[in-house]
Amino acid sequence: MRSDGLRVLAVIERDLKKFRRNPLVIAMSVLLPLIYLVILGHSFQGKLQALPLVVANLDSGPYSRNVMDNLRAVEAGPKTFSLVIVGNEKDAIDGIRRGKYKAGLIIPPDFSKRVALKGRPEVGLFLDNTDGISSEAVKNAVMGGLRSIRSDYVSIRDKSDEILLRDITLYKQVDYYESLVPGVVIMAIFLGTLTTGAFNIVMDRFLGVDESYLLTPLSKSDIVAGLIISGLFITTIIAVVILAVSMLMTGIHFSRSPQQFASILLIIILTTLCLLSLMFVILGRINHPRVVGILSGFLNVILFFPSGAVYPIASFPQWLKTFAKINPEAYAVDALKGLLFKGADLASIATDIAFLLVFTMVMMTTAIMTFRRTL
Amino acid sequence: MLQRNKAVEVSGITKRFGSLIAVDNVSFDVMEGEIFGFLGPNGAGKTTLIRMLTTLIKPTSGEATVGCCDVTKQPAAVRREIGVVPQAMTSDLDLTGFENMDIYARFYGISSKERKDRIPYLLETVGLSARANELVAAYSGGMRRRLEIARVLVHRPKILFLDEPTIGLDPQSRRVVWDFLRKLMEEASITIFITTHYMEEAEMLCSRVAIIDSGRIVVIGSPKELKSQIPGNDIVSLAVENLTDILVDRVNHLPFVHKVNTEDGNVRIYVDHGAQDLPLLIDEVKSSGGKVLSATVHEQSLEDVFIHYTGKSIREEEGKKVSFLVGAGIPQKWGR
Repeated sequence: MRSDGLRVLAVIERDLKKFRRNPLVIAMSVLLPLIYLVILGHSFQGKLQALPLVVANLDSGPYSRNVMDNLRAVEAGPKTFSLVIVGNEKDAIDGIRRGKYKAGLIIPPDFSKRVALKGRPEVGLFLDNTDGISSEAVKNAVMGGLRSIRSDYVSIRDKSDEILLRDITLYKQVDYYESLVPGVVIMAIFLGTLTTGAFNIVMDRFLGVDESYLLTPLSKSDIVAGLIISGLFITTIIAVVILAVSMLMTGIHFSRSPQQFASILLIIILTTLCLLSLMFVILGRINHPRVVGILSGFLNVILFFPSGAVYPIASFPQWLKTFAKINPEAYAVDALKGLLFKGADLASIATDIAFLLVFTMVMMTTAIMTFRRTL
Repeated sequence: MLQRNKAVEVSGITKRFGSLIAVDNVSFDVMEGEIFGFLGPNGAGKTTLIRMLTTLIKPTSGEATVGCCDVTKQPAAVRREIGVVPQAMTSDLDLTGFENMDIYARFYGISSKERKDRIPYLLETVGLSARANELVAAYSGGMRRRLEIARVLVHRPKILFLDEPTIGLDPQSRRVVWDFLRKLMEEASITIFITTHYMEEAEMLCSRVAIIDSGRIVVIGSPKELKSQIPGNDIVSLAVENLTDILVDRVNHLPFVHKVNTEDGNVRIYVDHGAQDLPLLIDEVKSSGGKVLSATVHEQSLEDVFIHYTGKSIREEEGKKVSFLVGAGIPQKWGR
């Protein structure tokens, strides 16, 4: 007797058997959500700490020393910022422009005098406002430090003696929506590099057509370099289109100097090369597209969220900060933010460029070395 | 006969995959301009052997010289001299037939002028001119196979390797491939190395055949030589009910019988004149208490050579073991 209703059981059994025989898929479907938990849990809304604050204290009076003591108390206590002391205003502002510091506090020469003489004392706080979350946090912490001066020393005075914190934004205001654009471009590059380059090798292996070119005189470096260059071409176009569209969508204004365009293109190209060679190292010996699917989720979560694209790196716990130091996407995001929002020149993103270059060279060499030219 | 050079020289080549010995201490030579066949059942190690000779996998031990050079020491130089049609269809489905040929030719650094002459000529030769600009995805199995063969000729290889070149083809397409290969050998004096599990193919095509079973060479020789080593001219196969050892023994002692062997209730009897001897054999079975259910008589073929040397017919090898990571996409080092 035929029992037609039970045919569905065969479908179920087939599927379950296939699942059971793929240990990597099982492991990753358990691990991936947990990795999301750990990475996302530590890369959003964490307490911002150790934001670099540069201070130029031009006053030698007692009250400025008091301000400094209070700032050191914040540095030691809530650790919102870490202090760097410089001798003049220019060094401070240049440092912020070069991305070294998140904010700069300038205590003018007549500060103590004004406090003593009730002469409306004021300090200047220069902010890197392209990172709204960080600059807001520094500003609040500095304000806290100044308030306690008033309560200790200025408490009996009337309200007109309050220290005025004049905050000066160095750049055009960047809202959160706009601030995501560099991250979106990096995401486009990530996806582009995942589906070109080494992925072609994975598919060729999967379809069994890799024999056709392994049998020819093509060398390892012919194959690796060829696929990286074609992947670079495709991914660069995608990234530029995504950049243009997302700038239109968010309304980012951008100085249209050819140099700026060239610098942005350079970063896009470098990041693409960097990720393409990384993918070659990771996917170099994989022979099933399913693995690429699993890895894409994994790589995206460990590269993208700790890159500073969605939330400042300063809010990460130490281990995640350390990871961000070797995460190429973090350098790419930093460089693009500098170019898009601060009008940075190449010199101020030299560290980013240097890291991306070194990373690319190391990965490319590893890719060629580990690529197997045999079946 | 003219002194000919060796195109392929293999000595003591072995390939292990874990505990499995896919190719076991195999030695042979192939002379320039001959069609040399490796005949054996699926799983005998033919593909592993061809992959070692064509630099795709490294031998565990032993040496092989193909064309000018040693396959492990100078694989790149070997690759320039050989053309290989693997068992799997390896043309790129997303490209047209012409594009497949063109890009492949450029892998060898062939000039655009030469490509312009040679590719249309080769496509014409294999009868694909009319479909040259269609995507290979739209090709039939036979057309794809012919494209594969045309493609490996684009760089004028000295030695051509074909792994089961007619597997899965209908008899007509198979004959087209045979004619083409024979023409190639005669006109372009290419050395051809094929593997096959089709007896008929080896017999029709090959000047010499090596019979391989379970990774070892059983015997090498021309189809004619090999057949002459089996006693008799014909084989009578009888399906017998109540088959006993005594019955087999009595048949074996008939004066005109050279040899008898049995396999699954079938008796194979080696005689000189099958048609003439058949009634006598049936009578003998009857008088020995058996009953003949069916009978066939055929002229000896390479199949019989295979059975003669290995004691079994060419059969489908039981499935190979697969690494547990195979479905996960982790490359497994297992021969086909």
